Amino acid sequence: MIELDGRRLPIVAGDTIALAALRAGEHPGHGGTVCLAGDCGSCVAEVDGVAWVRTCQTPARPGVVVRRHPDGNAPPLLGGSSSLVEPSVRHEQAELVVVGDGPSGQDAAASASAAGREVVVLDAARGDEVVVIDHGPTVIVRRSGTDPVTLVHLHAHEVVLATGAAELHPVCPGTRLRGLYTAGAAAVAHTAGVVLPDAVAIGTPPEGVPCRPVPGRLARLEGNGRISAVVVEHDGDVVRHGCATAIFGLGSSPRDILARIAPDLAVRVVGSAASAHELPPPPVEGVICPCSGTTVEDLEAVWARGFRELELVKRASLCGTGTCQGSACLPHLRSWVAQRSGRPAEPFTARPAARQLTLGEAAAGYHVDAFRRTALHGEHHRLGAQLDRFGGWWRPWSYGDLGAEYWAVRRAVSIGDVSTLGKMVVSGPDVVEALERLYPNHVHDLRLGRSRYALVLNERGHITDDGMICRDDDARFTLTFTSGGASAAEMWVRDWIETWGLRVHVLDRTMSLGAINVTGPSAAELLRRLGVDEPPRFLQHRRLPVAGIDCHVMRLSFTGEASFELHHPIDASAELWQALLHEGADLGVRPHGLEALFGLRLEKGHVIVGQDTELDSSPRRVGMEWAVKMDKADFLGRSALERTAPLPDDRRLHAFTMPSPAPFEGSAILHEGEVVGVVTSSFDSPILEQAVLLGWLRHRPFPSVVEIDGRSATTSSTPFYDPEGSRARA
Amino acid sequence: MREPEPFAGWRVVAAPPALDALEARTGAGVALRIAADDLLVLSGGEQPALDDPDAIVEPETGFVGWELDPPAVRALLVGHVEWQPPAPRPTLAQGLVAAVPAKLWLREDGSALLLCLAAYAAELEARLA
Repeated sequence: MIELDGRRLPIVAGDTIALAALRAGEHPGHGGTVCLAGDCGSCVAEVDGVAWVRTCQTPARPGVVVRRHPDGNAPPLLGGSSSLVEPSVRHEQAELVVVGDGPSGQDAAASASAAGREVVVLDAARGDEVVVIDHGPTVIVRRSGTDPVTLVHLHAHEVVLATGAAELHPVCPGTRLRGLYTAGAAAVAHTAGVVLPDAVAIGTPPEGVPCRPVPGRLARLEGNGRISAVVVEHDGDVVRHGCATAIFGLGSSPRDILARIAPDLAVRVVGSAASAHELPPPPVEGVICPCSGTTVEDLEAVWARGFRELELVKRASLCGTGTCQGSACLPHLRSWVAQRSGRPAEPFTARPAARQLTLGEAAAGYHVDAFRRTALHGEHHRLGAQLDRFGGWWRPWSYGDLGAEYWAVRRAVSIGDVSTLGKMVVSGPDVVEALERLYPNHVHDLRLGRSRYALVLNERGHITDDGMICRDDDARFTLTFTSGGASAAEMWVRDWIETWGLRVHVLDRTMSLGAINVTGPSAAELLRRLGVDEPPRFLQHRRLPVAGIDCHVMRLSFTGEASFELHHPIDASAELWQALLHEGADLGVRPHGLEALFGLRLEKGHVIVGQDTELDSSPRRVGMEWAVKMDKADFLGRSALERTAPLPDDRRLHAFTMPSPAPFEGSAILHEGEVVGVVTSSFDSPILEQAVLLGWLRHRPFPSVVEIDGRSATTSSTPFYDPEGSRARA
Repeated sequence: MREPEPFAGWRVVAAPPALDALEARTGAGVALRIAADDLLVLSGGEQPALDDPDAIVEPETGFVGWELDPPAVRALLVGHVEWQPPAPRPTLAQGLVAAVPAKLWLREDGSALLLCLAAYAAELEARLA
């Protein structure tokens, strides 16, 4: 037995839910023509808590609980207590996948096998329901008969669709009644023992099914809930035929939904699914799209409003956007549009999936981006850090006390996890030549043990990243890049070196090395306690043991205070971190997160590429022409910068100050009531006791006073803090 | 799934002929040729010497790995790998495993070493659990 809306229904072996319902005199939905072939949406219902299930394709297992959806409405969303089991996923490979095991599918499979190709044949009748063809092409198959359901992701070189043809549904008034069957459905139902009382057949009658053929063109169906008569026009007369069942043999159309889902993939359609089918006569009245309830009258209305292409009519009327994605209505819609426009209308695109999927089934086997963890992830957790995702990494945003983190940097010493920075080693006889071409500043005169800040430009002279160039040896350098830009930087370096054919080896060390920034007035003292008697001076770097751990120590500054980046093997990260915290306890050391770091660097006016820059930001626009040496013979972006230098350019990144509170980043910048720019960075500076900002202005003359967040802000120079840079060099 | 095993080895970037010689000396399964100019040596010890004065040779502790027996390898390939690994064994296969960048050293007996960067280990472990 199964249960349908509380009524217990008997089942026999081989029944689908729809057949069991029809045998009991019920309709699996609320009415409408049934096809029993999985093409239309007339029989969808909730099955064991899963909505939108095609009951004609679902075996009637004992105990199944079926509930009809509300008539004319979508089913209610399930609550959070759903006990649905996550489906399992199998990845399989195949040279050729044939969907459909009918004659044309068998022919395709046989000829491919004879040619030595590995062939997999899928057929819904054997429990392999193809729900989507995704990029690859990957054929997503719902394989029944397993618990939980298995989703097979079949990675194919080519897909052949031999899915045959679908029967046409009638379009006329009265098609929501019960007792309506396509000819194929009537044959299936009759064979399964479903009684089809007092049946009439319009069009070609099904073989072996007792029914009275009715000649003429279908005009309407009559009845009260269940059909009681068909009305046809025949030889100029309107003739009414009483009946309790109506069977429609109106022809067929390609069963091409999978092909319409995957129009640009390696998918070939054969057999009836590829054949030309005669379109039905243009419908004149009634529901054309049973799924969305679109009527011919609706089509008339959208046509009158000017939507006169098939895809536009579809979008404006919703015809074809429902459960079956046009399997029932598309031939009628094409016929209607063709008649109105006077030209053939090509089939519209179908949206996945071809079969209803649960969210679990749709998501099975797919993953969100993998976010990386630094070797200090556990340390951050232990310190109560609030972690968030930045540049593809989990990073500590804050350790819970922004003020304390900030002041530790400005007045004592602090440590920050900068393991996420891009780190690269380049070596080889042509390495200087390569770097001279890659970077807009000089490299050849960089002495051993020294480092230099550098912009990364593309061929258009736009800033794509920035970082440091550290000279390790005559023919060996260490390069650093931003956390978010590291992957692209590696490709950028490799691509250009290969393009130029230069003899340079490249090794990306981003995920092999950790890095801790030790920053603050007591940073050098902390390093001394850990065995560094003579820390590098500003813009120097050296390989030194720190707390007994081999480190590449780089002296630079992003925070505005004396700073040392300790690059080290990641298996020593936790040990080094703990040593710094332990030895610096009486110095007031504490870790700082990104929230503090972003504010500290903003006080220095340092730009964050990607946050303060736009895709077409040139060094001139961000006020960093000092980082570009146009006296060099050539470098990436040089010709673009040279060409654009004399051209007017009204966009500039500006600095502003205003009374606290700092406005939100992204706030509009106004002048005389007009929007003239946008805030890119904003911070309430504790030491300056005002808000400091960076933002874009787009019109000359640049005003000296603007309005942000309804308040006055004044343009300023940078750095806001320690403009002489004495603290960083201390 | 067990905790992954960390590796302390060497990373060598050098001219391909120099790496060919080093790979032959080190032995398959210990030296993994992850690119024509890039060799990952999974064992520690002396710094590898090779015939390329500009070679980059660095200690490498950035990878972790899981030893998988043949049934685990089959389950991994069927459940989490969208691509077809090369047929000959032993072989190094590289690509996404559960959408995480990874490497597989596939042995003749059906077992394998699954490697990934330590930064991805927790994510991969969770996806394979």
